[in-house]
Amino acid sequence: MNTLGINEKKTEINRNLQSSVSILQPYMIGSIPIDKLKPKKVRKNTELTLWERLYIPEIVRGMVVTTRHFIFNMIGFVFPPNGKKRSIFTVYYPEEKLTLPDAYRGRPVLVMREDGTERCVACGLCEKICPALCISILGGERENKERYPTYYTLDMSLCVFCGFCEEVCPKEAILMSDEYEGLAEYDRKNMLYPKEKLLVSEKKLQKRIDYVRKIYSKCNY
Amino acid sequence: MIADLIEAVAKILFIFGVNMGFFAPVLGWVERKQSAVMQDRVGANRADIFGFTLIGLLHPVADTIKLLTKEDFIPAGANKLFHTLAPFITLTPALIAFSVIPFGGQYEIYGHTINLVIADLDVGILFIFAFASLSIYGVVLGGWSSNNNWSFLGAMRASAQMLSYEVAMGLAIIGVIMVYGSLRLTDIGAMQENFFKWGIFLQPIGFILFIACATAENKRIPFDIPEAETEIVAGYFTEYSSMKFIMFWMAEFLEMITIAGIITTLFLGAWHIPFISSKMLLSLFSFAGANGATILVMLTNIATFFTKIIFMIWFQMTIRWTLPRFRYDQMMKLGWKILLPLSLINIFITGLVLLL
Repeated sequence: MNTLGINEKKTEINRNLQSSVSILQPYMIGSIPIDKLKPKKVRKNTELTLWERLYIPEIVRGMVVTTRHFIFNMIGFVFPPNGKKRSIFTVYYPEEKLTLPDAYRGRPVLVMREDGTERCVACGLCEKICPALCISILGGERENKERYPTYYTLDMSLCVFCGFCEEVCPKEAILMSDEYEGLAEYDRKNMLYPKEKLLVSEKKLQKRIDYVRKIYSKCNY
Repeated sequence: MIADLIEAVAKILFIFGVNMGFFAPVLGWVERKQSAVMQDRVGANRADIFGFTLIGLLHPVADTIKLLTKEDFIPAGANKLFHTLAPFITLTPALIAFSVIPFGGQYEIYGHTINLVIADLDVGILFIFAFASLSIYGVVLGGWSSNNNWSFLGAMRASAQMLSYEVAMGLAIIGVIMVYGSLRLTDIGAMQENFFKWGIFLQPIGFILFIACATAENKRIPFDIPEAETEIVAGYFTEYSSMKFIMFWMAEFLEMITIAGIITTLFLGAWHIPFISSKMLLSLFSFAGANGATILVMLTNIATFFTKIIFMIWFQMTIRWTLPRFRYDQMMKLGWKILLPLSLINIFITGLVLLL
């Protein structure tokens, strides 16, 4: 009999955890990882020195800063740097859109298989974990004994986009998509999303499915 | 006689057109756009006609139409007469004060002498100060008649501030008057043909004092406590809407132009280009004949003057978007304890240097 001892089991879990952590990059500020960043020294004395109380030199210093920004930005406006429209970071929203990070949590959607049925098995975990109580499910059973939700409603007026439903789902059936537009409505009745409105095909969500597998599967199970 | 009349009307129309037709509306756009560029933003660029946005230049038009079609609201309990009168009293002096500022020298074209100033008064600077102090009445009346605590506080602050800074401003200018020996602005302008005789080199302290006091007179940041948004909503014009609101804003912009004009005339060599005298300009334009050369010199001088004005407006805007607001007591302290003694010392030193 070759059973693993408790210690060996622990080391295995640790190894798994380490491998999962190595996938996650440490948070970087510029090119420095956050744990190696040292705080700047703050000048504590708030009394003005004589040089500062003269006002004029300090005013000139401030004006030099703003004028430098003004001149560089004006040059950026008139002669935009290679291919860009300008050197300013502002995004002209409706025309241009931000590239969203992988972890972005937009509106929750149900994953639809290629044959048009949903992955969801109506286990009710998402309904249970939802802190805003916005999900309500009624389970049913097909002829081949497969469970499916006959009724799956998500109230978008209550949803807080926490992503717990996605985290808890054992079947990767509910995901946070990257959609953030068109969620506002004039009527609250329209914000009660039925199953048909929530279903999105697998292919469109492939990127998110991969991300969810990378993030949750190893750490939690 | 008729030529004089035509000349006067042409000058008035020119200055009125440039100030009210060009500067007053465009400065609103400049204020927004320049602050945006200084703060790494994009600024107003959405208003368009058939898809042409003209880098946001249509925003002043849109704003004006919006404000004109708004309800002209007079609050309950307000003094209707004074409430209506106040913006006029503020706007008119701001508009008039520019009339004594020369935007060019004297030129003789086809035997007719043209003096490029609307009213060549021999007490030019005093005239400007008189009208600058008249605009306080508009502010105080507007604040008092609105029947609003914020407006009243703003008016009180404005009166205190403008009274205390008027003194330092008048004294700051006296040094310049002593150096050039004239109150007539055309004379002062004509005397600055030599680059090293510009007021900014002869009176550097006076220049700084005057800019500080003029900013305070115009109630702009860092001296904008009468209309401090974070403290008293909008100060004395909290209760104004529609066209009257525009008039207060226009008055502020016109005062900015007037201040730029005074600084240009007194300190920055008026209509002269540095290192180029009008004789050199005349010989440069000699290909156009005697009269043509004079006209070209005149146009060059006007262009130079307005270039300097635009630079000074840019400078004031930069100050406005760089510095934070003074506290009320700090501002009073600055006015009475620093600027006033400094201007007196400046007069003293100037007199000493002139005597020796």
